[in-house]
Amino acid sequence: MIIIAIYNRSITYFLLYAVETDNLSKVYSSGLKAVDEISIKVKNGEIFGFLGPNGAGKSTTIMILTTLLKPTSGNAFVAGFDVTTNAKAVRENIGYVQQDSTVDEYLTGRENLELQARVNHIPKNVRSKRVDEILEIIELSDRQHEAAVTYSGGMRKRLDIGGGLLNMPKVLFLDEPTLGLDIQTRYKIWEYIKKIHDEFGMSIFLTTHYMDEADKLCDNISIIDNGKIKITGSPKELKNALGNEIVVFEIDSSDKINTLVSNIKKLTTVKDVSIDGTMITVFTTSGDQLTPQIFQHANDLAIKIENISLTKPTLDDVFLSHTGRELREDDGKYDRKKVRERMRRIRA
Amino acid sequence: MTMLVDAYTIFWREIKRYKKSRSGILIRLIQPAIWIIVMGNTFASTRPLIQSVGFHGSYIEFMAPGVIMLTAIFTSIFGGVNTLWDRRYGFMNKALVSPVSRSSIALGKMLAISLISTLQSSLILGIALALGVHIANLFVIFPILLTVTIFSLGFSGISVIVAATSKSQETFWGVINFLGMPLFMLSPALFPLELLPSWLAFAARLNPVTYSVLLIRQMMTGTVQMLPVAIELSVICGFVIVMVALASYVFTREVNKPF
Repeated sequence: MIIIAIYNRSITYFLLYAVETDNLSKVYSSGLKAVDEISIKVKNGEIFGFLGPNGAGKSTTIMILTTLLKPTSGNAFVAGFDVTTNAKAVRENIGYVQQDSTVDEYLTGRENLELQARVNHIPKNVRSKRVDEILEIIELSDRQHEAAVTYSGGMRKRLDIGGGLLNMPKVLFLDEPTLGLDIQTRYKIWEYIKKIHDEFGMSIFLTTHYMDEADKLCDNISIIDNGKIKITGSPKELKNALGNEIVVFEIDSSDKINTLVSNIKKLTTVKDVSIDGTMITVFTTSGDQLTPQIFQHANDLAIKIENISLTKPTLDDVFLSHTGRELREDDGKYDRKKVRERMRRIRA
Repeated sequence: MTMLVDAYTIFWREIKRYKKSRSGILIRLIQPAIWIIVMGNTFASTRPLIQSVGFHGSYIEFMAPGVIMLTAIFTSIFGGVNTLWDRRYGFMNKALVSPVSRSSIALGKMLAISLISTLQSSLILGIALALGVHIANLFVIFPILLTVTIFSLGFSGISVIVAATSKSQETFWGVINFLGMPLFMLSPALFPLELLPSWLAFAARLNPVTYSVLLIRQMMTGTVQMLPVAIELSVICGFVIVMVALASYVFTREVNKPF
């Protein structure tokens, strides 16, 4: 195990990117372009967050990278191997923890891991020892002989993550690892993810809906929407790009809101402005300077400010500023026409 | 070699799951048991008809091989349904992103179904013997069960193919019910071929079930002759080889598509 960890680390020096895609596209037979010429680079050894609204193309991308789907065009390399021409080598070097639990409820925790170890061709002589080690890491040793049907959601997730670690992968794919778990369990799962990352030094490709999760865990993130990459960078960079502070205020009527916004946009400290009804959000480099100026401009237009607050940007703000605030349909189909109509109604 | 090891891994998992579903084992025996008890007695008076084509036992003894095959047919044709669950609940993806080849997943499933089918059939054989069905000698039990094993390996291919191509449970059960019963009926399982209209007898001759029923019946009555047995065995084995190849081809093609 230690030798493999060292080996994984030494690979870091030779291999620059754990995951690299080049104009990767996937068009389904229905004509839906789920992934649209994306190019991402995940540095070896980093935790990379892949964020996006429902139906943005996250799952399709992950399925291509884990060799479950063939891309329509473009290239993708995982752990240095081409996913289309060298799928077997890719499969030998990755771990994939799916969004939905894949735990076999009929089998015990240990049998689940043994099954996955066999499937991953872990030699017979080390199999049992490896399973013991993984059970230790995911803290399930004491309940390993109980049927998985008796496990809680958090224990099942840990078992799933443990399964992804058995073959000591160079790249670990975690698809929504804390979806549907309570706060305590989410914190615990984050600890495990950090622990295994520190211990084995593998690269982690993580998708999530939770911005706090991405903020806590990821070295770099990319935001995908409608199959295209919107922005890439470290959580800190992305937050700073929005400005250091956010001023949110509500005005009494939306009559002259456009004039007010265009006046505010001209101010030097302002980075971006967005409107939601009578609520205006201003991203700025200096909230202290901006606040009195906002009052001044509102006063000039005879607009009354109902309330105002000053906050720091979170990754939520980054996400919303790049993907918009419209609600997405949960089934992943995104009706542009409807959205456009709704937007027109809002503007009118 | 790796392929066989991988197939064994999948086989191991399926058998583990089978062992843990004890209630299922018994439930699946109810239907064939009803067949042998109810149908066996309902048609008891057809004995003169059966004797006219050279079978000297009772009707229950005539139909016992048919009911063993009924068990084999339905156990193996239903057996692939968990492929659909596996695709829905993720085990399939887990196996597909591992170095295990697609064909060995199909083969492992078929081997497991074939063993389960043999176990179920052996229980029905036990019930038949308990009901007083006479067999030539106890040693023929092994070749009978071996025939069931080989036949089920081929027949489970149908199940794996239908499961891999269906997107829903409804499609699967629709197709399987459409296939299972006619294949059973279109064989000498319940009635001798010699008494069927010639076009039906011809159709039955195209059905691999026919050859398995005939082979098992000969072994049970101890009237084994070289030539018919050789023909029956080669038809069954040919069927198995074709089904294994076809199932692994279709399975590989289908699981590479989005579900």
